[in-house]
Amino acid sequence: MEPKMIDHLFRHHYGKMVSVLTRIFGLAHLETIQDAVQDTFLKATLSWKNNPPENPEAWLTKAAKNRVLDIFRKLNAERKRVPQIVNGMDAMAINELFLDTEIQDSQLRMIFTACHPYLSPTERIAFSLKTISGFSSKEIASAVLTKEDTIRKRLTRARKTIQTKDISFKIPVGRELPERMDSVLEVLYLIFNEGFHSNKAEILIRKELCGEAMRLCQMLLKNKITRTSQAYALFALMCFHAARLDSKMDENGAVIDLKHQNRKLWHFPLIRMGNDAMLKAVEDDQYSPYHFEAAIATEHLKARSFEATDWDKILMWCERLYEIQPSPIASLQMAVVQLQRDKMDEARDLLMGIQPDDLAQRAYLYYGFLAEYYRKNGEKERAIESLEIAISKVGNQAEKEYLEKKKTSIQNKNSALH
Amino acid sequence: MMIFIGADYAAMGLSPEEMQGRMGKWFAWNDKMEKAGILRGGNALTSDVRRIVGENRTVTDIASAELKEIVGGYYIVEVENFDAVSEVAQDFPDYDLGGTVEIREIMVFDR
Repeated sequence: MEPKMIDHLFRHHYGKMVSVLTRIFGLAHLETIQDAVQDTFLKATLSWKNNPPENPEAWLTKAAKNRVLDIFRKLNAERKRVPQIVNGMDAMAINELFLDTEIQDSQLRMIFTACHPYLSPTERIAFSLKTISGFSSKEIASAVLTKEDTIRKRLTRARKTIQTKDISFKIPVGRELPERMDSVLEVLYLIFNEGFHSNKAEILIRKELCGEAMRLCQMLLKNKITRTSQAYALFALMCFHAARLDSKMDENGAVIDLKHQNRKLWHFPLIRMGNDAMLKAVEDDQYSPYHFEAAIATEHLKARSFEATDWDKILMWCERLYEIQPSPIASLQMAVVQLQRDKMDEARDLLMGIQPDDLAQRAYLYYGFLAEYYRKNGEKERAIESLEIAISKVGNQAEKEYLEKKKTSIQNKNSALH
Repeated sequence: MMIFIGADYAAMGLSPEEMQGRMGKWFAWNDKMEKAGILRGGNALTSDVRRIVGENRTVTDIASAELKEIVGGYYIVEVENFDAVSEVAQDFPDYDLGGTVEIREIMVFDR
């Protein structure tokens, strides 16, 4: 009989086993550990071809457990420092580390390590996707649109920093915790956005990144130390956005804007999950940017049609978001809302106050909305000009086509007037 | 007998996700042959290779990474003829990785 394999079992199991073995042997031996775990998968693919196991996951866990002794011997042979727990070879203690609750604990330690402020933000993303999510360098490269070689360098640098700075494999406590949590949430937020706003049209990879960010966020929510209102708010935000993922593109991969999305395609179980998380997120009054972003997303989801959107309420949430976290993207968001409220002067002031370069790779969004402002204001030449800049700056093919379509429609209206 | 020849999985640097994808296809194929009642056995081979060559019986251990192609395993199926095996071999999962299936008939001696 064909054994059942859960989606992404190998990938997730890789993350689990690397975390557990790191807890046993220490971060200093990460490379050896990763090779050993990778090897258990190779062994699995060989031996399973003719003998499919009844429980693939249990088979993989046992294979990793059997590797403990191998790694121990290898490190000893290389005269490397071996931690106490292995020296005593306390089989009981080691066995316990392979229990589900302890695996979760090890994975949290790995998340905090991966998101350590000593690593640069891009290193944090690459290292998380590699060690916790089990992506290969090639998969990370295609997910974040970078060369595979660059990813390899980031991973090497991250490993080196962890060694030289002697980062400990622990869940931080006391005053250190909130700050470290912020960094973890930020990385998850970035991974999610990489998927949600990705400059790559391939929907499969985008969904995987979003799914991975959500899975990691759920890991935080499972542990009482990391179950903060911010983490709940971030999870709610991800649910709300993810609920719309399928309606953002048509079957040919063309972008559909919020106004034209088929609201019936929105995924209600995710919205419900987001609502539940949101209720937990507001149990205390520690409001974070994630709270306000989630609140904005909720307003969009609440509206039965685009026309029924409560823009006044969204503006209020945008302003509160800007208060605690002023950023060019927050200004842009406010400008867009003002445009929807037909407050042309307010919209223009906000748009003129933004330095498009500050938006980096999302600068095309700025020019897109600037064009929308000009169009609405009857300045068609300027609208087309802005769209042309937007088109020159956009990386994603689908978004590019969307902008070009918009340009054509403005041009056609133009000629109809003459 | 279907003999599988190709590069070593380890040398190809497949990611866990890719390996799981491979596995799913092998399971499905295995399952299909079993349901059809044609499977008579088979084995996957590890990548350790030792060769003994010549009159001097010279022994060499070869790292699989040095070999472009290696026999990775075999299946024995019982069907009508070569064409029927070819049909079965359509589902071999590793063609996209440059793999080859060699079909050989097991010789049966009449007394």
